[in-house]
Amino acid sequence: MQHRIDTILMLAVVSVLAASMVNLYGVSAAVGSGLLMRQVVWCVIGLSLLWACSFIRATYWEKAAPKIYALCLIALVAVLVFGQVRGGTRGWFVLGPISIQPSEFARLGTMLMVAAFLGKREDGQLHLGGFLVVSTIVAIPVGLILLEPDLGVALTYGPVLLIGWWLGGLRPRVWVVLGLLGVITAGVAWATVLKPYQKERVLTVLDADRDPYGAGYQVRQSRIAVGSGGLSGEGIGRGSQSVLRFLPAQHTDFAFASWAEATGFIGASALLIAFSVILLRLGVLTERTGQRFDLGFATIVFAWLAFQIIVNLGMVLGWLPTAGITLPLFSYGGSSVISTCATLGIVQSIWRHRFVNQ
Amino acid sequence: MRIHTDPILFRQRSRMVLVLVLGVIGLLHFKLFHLQIIQGQTWSRMATNNRLRKIPVPAPRGRIFDRQGVVLADNVPAWQLLVFPDEAEELEHTIAFLTGQGIIEGGDLRQKFSERRIGTMAPLVVAENISWEHVARVRAHQSDFPELSVVNGYRRSYPQSAGTAHVVGYLRRLTEGEVERYDNSQPDQLIGATGIERLGEEFIRGKNGERRVVVSAVGRQLGMVEEEQSIPGDDLAVTIDTRIQQAAVEALGKNAGAVVVLDIHTGAVRALYSSPSFDPNLFSSPLSPKEWSKISDDPQHPLQNRCLQGTYPPGSTIKPFLALAGLQEDLVNPQWSVYCRGSVTLYGHTFRCWRRGGHGRVDMKRALEVSCDVYFYLLGQKLGIERMAPWLERFGFGRPTGLGPAHEASGLIGTPEWSRRVRGTPWYAGESVSVSIGQGPVLVTAIQMARAFALLANGGYLVQPYLIPPATPLEREFVPLDPSSLEVVIAGLKRVVVGSEGTARSLRGLSVAGKTGTAQVARLPSEGSNTERAHHLQHHAWFIGWGPVDDPEVAVAVLVEHGGGGGSVAAPAAAVVFRAALRSGPNLGEGK
Repeated sequence: MQHRIDTILMLAVVSVLAASMVNLYGVSAAVGSGLLMRQVVWCVIGLSLLWACSFIRATYWEKAAPKIYALCLIALVAVLVFGQVRGGTRGWFVLGPISIQPSEFARLGTMLMVAAFLGKREDGQLHLGGFLVVSTIVAIPVGLILLEPDLGVALTYGPVLLIGWWLGGLRPRVWVVLGLLGVITAGVAWATVLKPYQKERVLTVLDADRDPYGAGYQVRQSRIAVGSGGLSGEGIGRGSQSVLRFLPAQHTDFAFASWAEATGFIGASALLIAFSVILLRLGVLTERTGQRFDLGFATIVFAWLAFQIIVNLGMVLGWLPTAGITLPLFSYGGSSVISTCATLGIVQSIWRHRFVNQ
Repeated sequence: MRIHTDPILFRQRSRMVLVLVLGVIGLLHFKLFHLQIIQGQTWSRMATNNRLRKIPVPAPRGRIFDRQGVVLADNVPAWQLLVFPDEAEELEHTIAFLTGQGIIEGGDLRQKFSERRIGTMAPLVVAENISWEHVARVRAHQSDFPELSVVNGYRRSYPQSAGTAHVVGYLRRLTEGEVERYDNSQPDQLIGATGIERLGEEFIRGKNGERRVVVSAVGRQLGMVEEEQSIPGDDLAVTIDTRIQQAAVEALGKNAGAVVVLDIHTGAVRALYSSPSFDPNLFSSPLSPKEWSKISDDPQHPLQNRCLQGTYPPGSTIKPFLALAGLQEDLVNPQWSVYCRGSVTLYGHTFRCWRRGGHGRVDMKRALEVSCDVYFYLLGQKLGIERMAPWLERFGFGRPTGLGPAHEASGLIGTPEWSRRVRGTPWYAGESVSVSIGQGPVLVTAIQMARAFALLANGGYLVQPYLIPPATPLEREFVPLDPSSLEVVIAGLKRVVVGSEGTARSLRGLSVAGKTGTAQVARLPSEGSNTERAHHLQHHAWFIGWGPVDDPEVAVAVLVEHGGGGGSVAAPAAAVVFRAALRSGPNLGEGK
């Protein structure tokens, strides 16, 4: 009988957080040294929260899901009223030196809510009612976040919705219809909603040399940074792309690129493997647990983390357009680190209590 | 309470997602391997190219001095204000600071920022040629605004300003094609556009150096890797005499016109002034569209160099040369005389003398002194265009002198052949009569005129005018003339000034010989005096001559566009120039 948390998952999480702080130290010449201290504080808070969450029984999380979800929605509404604007997005509560981004936390509430809803269902298929409920659970926070507007964060709710549908079970023909609808929506969005700079970002992926000093600048500099790392890297704080600030957003969206430049294939591989371990342990959890809620939540968390990791790395390595999606646990940002830690805390709680209620 | 159901379906679906995701992560891992291990060298080179930048170090141009060491073109330190927008915390604060200090206007800067494309992190030049005071203010606030950077360079300065604008010239930016051609040149490099700046370009342009520096993404230079020093251009002393040049400016005043002063023996240009002029300093820094259109749209065309590019009917100033031609061709002798009744009818057309009442009996000397038209009509009839044209060519008309600081007009010597080819009409015999008083199809430039009179003064040598002293004396064309013929013409031209009936008696007191000219712009109407005409129809006024009379040194050509009479307008202007030219003789330089 095990009542301990998953130490392998824990080790992987701590490794990624440690690497993120080493990376922040390395880029401090370019982005300022104050960020490192803040990130240390966020990590301590995040790990404490992870620890605390792991002690609360999974059954409690399942029961509390609607309340947590409701609280998150209230926060999302409140931020539209009282929030502070940064870079054109009204998405932050500011309390003295601390600023909180509720859209990062609301994702946890949404994941809990979807998992709880699917956990209660006996059916192997989502019929219209269930489909609509799952869709609505995700659509409400996404709608509120788009009002801020914060497209990058809103996108991270996408995998929650898709995996909700997938786990709930849709008939193949419904997937076909949804697929077609998706294509049509994308087409319409391209023609109407997307701004020219956003289109340029997409086109740049198709042709990397399209506009090397405009829309393609960031991705080009990122690829130069990653590629010039070589096997063993330029050394922490010595990568010219990072130190001389050719690499944009090197502590947030492009943090992986500065890491890859500094530590080379060895370090970048290690980081990628650490992420793979986190995902694998989530997979192992789904194999070990017998509860629908547990299994559903772990899979949703898995899908979301996988989505952010793949999209962020895809962008850094030049395969996907720049969309403002960060690398979880590695990119600088308090709300992201803490909410991710809290989410993994619930995963650990499921691990810790997986035999208890069978 | 928890619902206990069989999660098999759930688990199957979960596994499929897992496998898919791990597959994609595997692909990403491969991509990472490809970028870092397989292409690593290539990307590494690109990173090096990113941070190392070649920066041309402009070489200062050589200075230009006049023959007495007066500076005509100089380099003065100039300060340029750069902004590195990506280093600014809040650009609005920067703009507020700069406008508050009165260094720039906010609107312009906002415009510049908005035109800038994302990702191009190069610094913006927000102000050129800023004052010391502004430099001090920016430096004092440097720590608050690290995005501001003051860099120093040189700006070309012309202390004589408009006075020497055409002769010294000005600078222009290299065209894109030229940037490729020159070594180490930079896109905004300046090169001589006209005047001595262009003539002496090879001499006064130095050799740009090059600096390899480490730069940050925003273009700040962080450290130098290596430097190839620039080699400054050589200083140049030219033939211009600033005192004569200034006299020319004074002589023309607000009139449009041209003044050329030549050393009669060597062809050295002592003054070359075209009026109206412009401030060449404007071209040393980027010209605003407003300033440019002010110069280029001026109906007086100040950029035109009237000394070289303006072609005018010579009027009576052509007479000495036709007199010489008549003597050389043995068609007349100095004693040959005509009786002027104020007009003469030739080929069925009445040709008027400028003096309605006539001059009575005139021989060659008197004809030159009083500028009798009838005498020259009859001489011209004897000569015919087939004898006049070759002689005018020998005296240097109808072709550029080759001075070269700007495009130079050829002028025109009309001939029957020219008439057929260009006009498509036959030559009328009456036209030869018109040409003999410098009207009709004959056009000259001021510099041609100065050179032709220099030939009279130096005994028949057609000099090659120059601004930059050549290493070896330039070839002069010798026109063999009978000394006695020359003496007669010179005597006539002396009487223009000293004679009781001379047309340039206002020059009396100066040791000058020469000829006035009043060139008609439009056909003389039967009535109405010149002063009542619209300005653009008024006569061009000429005086061309040399001095001192006994030991000639300089030839002066003065043209006043639409000025009126040669004797009444051009001769007094020439007096101003002669006073300066005869004072600053060749020995003046050594004395000072």
